[in-house]
Amino acid sequence: MTKTYAVELQDVVKQFGDVVAVNHVSLQIQDGEFFSLLGPSGCGKTTTLRMIAGFEMPTGGAIYIHGERQGYRPPNKRPVNTVFQNYALFPHMTVAENIAFGMEMQKIPKDEINRRVSEALDMVRLSNMASRKPKQLSGGQQQRIALARALVNRPKVLLLDEPLGALDLKLRKAMQIELKALQEEVGITFIYVTHDQEEALTMSDRIAVMNNGIVHQVGDPETIYEHPADRFVADFIGETNFIPVKIISLAPEIVVALGSGEQVVAGWAEEGLAVGDRAVLSIRPEKMDMLELNEVPKTPAHNTAYVKGKVTHLVYVGTDTRHTVTLGDGTEVVVRLQNMYIGEEPWELGEATIVTWNAAHARVLKE
Amino acid sequence: MERLRRHPELQAWLILAIPVIFLLIFFMAPLLIVFVYSFLERGKYGGVEWVFTLDNIRRVFDPLYFKTFLRSFYIAIITTIVTLALGYPLAYFIAKSPPSRRNALVFALMIPFWTNFLIRTYAWLTLLRTHTGLINVTLMNWGIISKPLPLYGNDFAIILGLVYGWLPVMVLPIYAALERLDESLLEAARDLYASSGKAFWRVTWPLSIPGVVAGSMLVFIPSLGAFVTPAILGGGKSLMIGNIISNQFLGAHDWPFGSALSMVMMIAMLIATLIYFRWTKKSELV
Amino acid sequence: MSVQTETLKTNDSRWDLIRSKLGGWSLSTYGILAFAFLYLPIVILVIFSFNDSRSVSKWAGFTTEWYGKMFQDGQIMLSIWNSLFLAIISTIIATILGTLVALGLERYRFRGKTAVDSMFYLPVIIPDIAMAIMLLLFFNMSGIGFTPWKVNFFGAKLAVPYSVIIGHVAFNTSFVAIVVRARLAQMDRTLEEAAQDLYANTWQTFRRVTLPMLMPGIIGGALLAFTLSLDDFVITFFTSGAGFNTLPVRVFGMIKKGVTPKINAVSTLMLVVSLSLVVVSILLSRRSGGDDSVQMGF
Repeated sequence: MTKTYAVELQDVVKQFGDVVAVNHVSLQIQDGEFFSLLGPSGCGKTTTLRMIAGFEMPTGGAIYIHGERQGYRPPNKRPVNTVFQNYALFPHMTVAENIAFGMEMQKIPKDEINRRVSEALDMVRLSNMASRKPKQLSGGQQQRIALARALVNRPKVLLLDEPLGALDLKLRKAMQIELKALQEEVGITFIYVTHDQEEALTMSDRIAVMNNGIVHQVGDPETIYEHPADRFVADFIGETNFIPVKIISLAPEIVVALGSGEQVVAGWAEEGLAVGDRAVLSIRPEKMDMLELNEVPKTPAHNTAYVKGKVTHLVYVGTDTRHTVTLGDGTEVVVRLQNMYIGEEPWELGEATIVTWNAAHARVLKE
Repeated sequence: MERLRRHPELQAWLILAIPVIFLLIFFMAPLLIVFVYSFLERGKYGGVEWVFTLDNIRRVFDPLYFKTFLRSFYIAIITTIVTLALGYPLAYFIAKSPPSRRNALVFALMIPFWTNFLIRTYAWLTLLRTHTGLINVTLMNWGIISKPLPLYGNDFAIILGLVYGWLPVMVLPIYAALERLDESLLEAARDLYASSGKAFWRVTWPLSIPGVVAGSMLVFIPSLGAFVTPAILGGGKSLMIGNIISNQFLGAHDWPFGSALSMVMMIAMLIATLIYFRWTKKSELV
Repeated sequence: MSVQTETLKTNDSRWDLIRSKLGGWSLSTYGILAFAFLYLPIVILVIFSFNDSRSVSKWAGFTTEWYGKMFQDGQIMLSIWNSLFLAIISTIIATILGTLVALGLERYRFRGKTAVDSMFYLPVIIPDIAMAIMLLLFFNMSGIGFTPWKVNFFGAKLAVPYSVIIGHVAFNTSFVAIVVRARLAQMDRTLEEAAQDLYANTWQTFRRVTLPMLMPGIIGGALLAFTLSLDDFVITFFTSGAGFNTLPVRVFGMIKKGVTPKINAVSTLMLVVSLSLVVVSILLSRRSGGDDSVQMGF
């Protein structure tokens, strides 16, 4: 073993009766990383987190924390702590007692406990709440206490299960910034479960995108966004256009044919596709532009696509305008054009247009 | 009609008039009578003489009768403790069962309770009797014992009968409290390095105490005032307060004394209830 | 880290798994034993009602003769009729009164509400022996005595003392009130508001919306009162004067005289009746989409 990861999952499987919640998942999470598990409800991300914490035992595979295989270890014997979705603050204990609990269980001497409890309260700026009961605190305050209660034990890894889900939008955004800053300051590995892709993209060093118990892609936010590995990731993250195409060639260049017969070059193709296969061309709305019919250059650049279409819908969304363009074969694509100047909408409904993009931004994915 | 609409209080009183009057006449008035009779003298041919006296109250504390009071307390307390010891794990068992099975288990728990108390006590009579009870007969037949065990006509039989009768009542409030317990609280405790035992004592138990108190009250009070159980399992001896009170009215015809006994018993129960409530308020947990 | 400590650590965690499984297994075993404890005496009671001998503890063969003897016993049959009549009458009255109490206490706020509320809890809290003797004293002193209501009930000539009826109503009212009140508290008030929005006045709202929705609770309370009345022993025993027997009172007398499987047969009969009532109440509550726990008044 040359490198020890903070947490490593090797081929982990979790089955509940007939349902396979986690299907052969392998992950290597680095020390000090802010690592997110992202996916829709029921994708297995929470189950994965609970297996790392020890609340569920894997049906197959192995989990290592700092190189140590966890096996059947119960949660109280693992060097990780959890921030629960509903905070799980003990209602019959004061805030201070809640925070002290983990240290009490580890038989840490009283004065050290008291010292660290006040430090923790200072860290989340709730020192004056020490003798209150959880139900007397607001949602945001409870969230910070839950965080303090976990961090005060100096775990090697902190597990967070959608901790911001119950907060309103503004508070959630503020907490995202705080959490990220906290993680950088304390330097602990954070494993963060969320279904909110914007949250994941904002906070994470790396993201694992999951669906139906399978990890579709692991990468940093930019890679996940700009270079999605398959249709699911491209669809789940941000907005993407999917244009049905047929593969004309894969080497030396990737060339696909649209329904209308027009051919375009693409920058990347998913593994396992062959010439003649049906696939989808994925391209993000903000990567596309629209030209007047007479604006197409006489010698069109080879790596640029020029596709005919008709404007069928316009939606003003403030920062930009979404233009829905219907292509020759009836496929609808959305093009986002920034509203640089007021009152400068160049396109009208029904107008003919040429949609254009750079081949580097176009990826051919399985259907 | 209009006045009714404008004065909801009047509506309330109108609706409650008949039941309240009924209860005043047939409950509060009888209660008052018992109180008053405690201070009257016994009449020559039964009934009462309207002469004020404290003799009845004094007789209650006479060692002869007070002994029975103490014994009743003793039996009630032991019953409550045993019922708690047996009932808490049972409540825990039901609460930890898969949700689909829980309702069926609660139902199964309540069926014995809904059957006649007298019959359930009689069932134990047939089991516990010294020479003809099923337990002794079977044990002697199998040669395990040579002399019958003293399972009847003593405190043991009464406590057993009471525990058996009131066990479901202890289990239900505890089960209700445990069922409401948030599973994630226990997970949080385990996550914070508590062993299963510590997690139980520091999280589950404190949060189930309201249920424990409710159950204990619901068992202690009827056990203190038990009549049927000692009458059937007590072997003809008047072992508890309820029996002595009953004797004053059926046999001895000493109504004032019976009233005094009853009144002292009810006051004792009231004090016990108040102590219970003060105790829970003091350890107001949540 | 040496290999040995590695192995120790893995063994350690396997022991944890065994321990937690053992914990779960012993809990289940306890659960089974506890339920066995609850049911065994009853099962034995029923078994020995078929015993072909006068013993209730030595099995001598199967027979149904005790049931025959039971049904031929005029006194027992009379006590059954008495029990039924008493239960029906007291249930009807207690249900009406109890529903009024529930409505009054749950829907209104007024001065003295706490006092009235507490007063209606007293019959539930007080031990039956205390309630029994205070009723005994009251009926004696007030001159009401134990005058019977002579009535012909399905051919049976009964003489039911008013005192017993009143006694049953006294404790049953509170139980009905608790059940109905729980149901009332659960009810969706916006339905009544909708009715009023659609021009219904107070009485119409009550009759067409509140009452129908409350009905399952009322029926639940009535069933509870009926069961309690059938099962009552202590209060009936003391308030019936001389010569009036309900089935429990009769059974008590039989026990005092001598134990035979006939008592087991009567007990089994009462068991069957209680169970049927419970099943009926569950079925009714299911059909109306109610909550079983409300039936218990918890």
